[in-house]
Amino acid sequence: MSRRTSYIRLAGAYARHQLRRRLRRRPGGDVQRLLEMYAPDRLLPLTEAERELLPAASACINCGLCALVSARVSGLRPSDLAAAYLRDYPLLESAASDLAGDSAPGLREAAAACPVGVPLEGVLAMIRRLASA
Amino acid sequence: MALSAAPSTQDVVVIGGGVTGAGVARDLALRGVSVLLLEKNDWGAGTSGSSTWMIHGGLRYLEYDWETTRLSQEDAGHIVDIARHLVHRVLFLVPVLPDDPHGIEQVETVMEVYDRYQPLKHAHPHVRLTTEEMLAVEPGLARDLVGGVTVEEWGVDPHRLAWANVLDAVEHGARALNHARVTSLIRDGSQVIGVRYVRDGAEVEARAQVVVNAGGPWSPEIAGMAGQEVRLRPAKGIHLVYDRRVSNFVISAEAVDGRDILMVPHGPITVLGTTDDDFFGDLDDVEVTPDEVDYLLQAVARVFPAIEHLRPVRATTGVRPTLYEWRPIEDRLSRRHELIEHRHAPGLLTITGGKLSMYRLMAEETADAACRRLGVQARCRTSEVRLPGSESEAPTAAELASEHRVTALGAANALRRHGCRAGAVLQDARQGRLVCRCEHLAEAELAHAARSEQARSLVDAFRRVGLAAGPCAGAACVDRAAQVVGRELGWSASQQVDAAREFLLGAWLGRAPLLERRGWAQEEMAYAGRRGYTA
Repeated sequence: MSRRTSYIRLAGAYARHQLRRRLRRRPGGDVQRLLEMYAPDRLLPLTEAERELLPAASACINCGLCALVSARVSGLRPSDLAAAYLRDYPLLESAASDLAGDSAPGLREAAAACPVGVPLEGVLAMIRRLASA
Repeated sequence: MALSAAPSTQDVVVIGGGVTGAGVARDLALRGVSVLLLEKNDWGAGTSGSSTWMIHGGLRYLEYDWETTRLSQEDAGHIVDIARHLVHRVLFLVPVLPDDPHGIEQVETVMEVYDRYQPLKHAHPHVRLTTEEMLAVEPGLARDLVGGVTVEEWGVDPHRLAWANVLDAVEHGARALNHARVTSLIRDGSQVIGVRYVRDGAEVEARAQVVVNAGGPWSPEIAGMAGQEVRLRPAKGIHLVYDRRVSNFVISAEAVDGRDILMVPHGPITVLGTTDDDFFGDLDDVEVTPDEVDYLLQAVARVFPAIEHLRPVRATTGVRPTLYEWRPIEDRLSRRHELIEHRHAPGLLTITGGKLSMYRLMAEETADAACRRLGVQARCRTSEVRLPGSESEAPTAAELASEHRVTALGAANALRRHGCRAGAVLQDARQGRLVCRCEHLAEAELAHAARSEQARSLVDAFRRVGLAAGPCAGAACVDRAAQVVGRELGWSASQQVDAAREFLLGAWLGRAPLLERRGWAQEEMAYAGRRGYTA
């Protein structure tokens, strides 16, 4: 097939598209269908608040200073939260058992010790939300 | 240089361990042909590894050849079928801005046509979204959109894909050697009858009835060893890598010159690229320039301003073996491939051009040509035989974690790399300890990479199991990693120190162009940790 033929076929598709648009409802209302389609793949949207948190969370360089200050979070080092868990959102459901329990003592102190200002409490909340959403 | 006492003899030698060369070796091995696969660096270390990590179905071909789109989609579907544990869905958000050359109706028309072929690769149809819906799905997008559409493709780790092909070839009788550089072709008159290669300081001869040149951008150099000309128009492409998913969705953007730029999430990282520039330099020494970084970020920031506040952790660069053509700008060059049966150097085949998504088909065509020369009748089976790790149902991450005393995150990562074989990889429970905390990489998995996956350096381990791919770029784990790999490979203490230093130097070279992008804090930590290694 030549480029000319392709353009002619695309032009035909465009004409049919315009006709269908005139007969159908206005765009909108399909976002729920989209999210349901990709729910098995755990392709979830971030919330606006999470999007705003992400630059500070992604500043983590895994220096480990927070681990010197804070007790462990469900058996994990606090540095694991931003350096390991808050990286791969679709995997968090599978990894949720690592973060079982509500105990997270000393995260505020750990965040205060962080040289790049990672908001550890917010990071943990985001991880738990994405793991269970 | 010492010459090995025992030259080998096989039906076919394949030069080049990118995904195409590995695919050729696998295809031939599945047909019962004896094969030797040689790679001068590591599996997938060249063009394959520096791609955008996608198996896509040829949307752009709708502009000039719908049949090519159909073929691309069909073959992408084959790859998804045989490599199920290595692929993942990537959902594009294609934002349309008010001044875009193609309005949203035109963009959606193309997606409607593309939808006809999407079932071939097991993908969902497109969805059209209003501006508000686009922002609900991805709040980091610019506010001045007129709407958008989605389109689905598949993502893949090209290093693991290349290795899975190598492994399957080996399990079907092939020999495969990385870090084995071909130095010359052996000829009998004009006939090519084998190769000489260097590995571990010794030169070895390997005789064969057919030699396949799958050297990617290096293929002209290899063909030149037989006095043959292969004309390419090599194109340099860089990518920026972020240490996490910037978004759960692919963001499609337009660069200042109208080219498409993509920001693609793959597992725990994001790959942003690519540039596309004619390249005339040394293929083994390709650098990233600050201008290229600015070009990519400018494009993405136009539709995704949030990118300016995130820290890229490294840049990768590679050269595409684009077929030679005079006049078109780089981006308009065809991505088609070409199989050359050198008439004046019988016994030599060159497969070049193409793209990652078409590797299996390129391998099939090449193996068909080799089999014609060998008189082998066996048919290609690479579209139906699953790759190692995808043969059967894998356990869940929780089951694997509980059985092998690793974290569920570490188990989930291992499943993505090894599929149903992850349990065997993690079977040494005494090594449940983590070596790389950014990746939650268990020592057992790293040791397995050195012992059973031909990782001969820490950089090889980075490709094979993601060692040090996270926020600290190895500063926290490289010493321990050198001990684990060194124990498997018999390194002395000083060899372990050298390996760690070599790895960190390489990591620094990939990071240096990005330091002005929020990179100095990490650099200070890395430097503080390594002062003992400086001269």
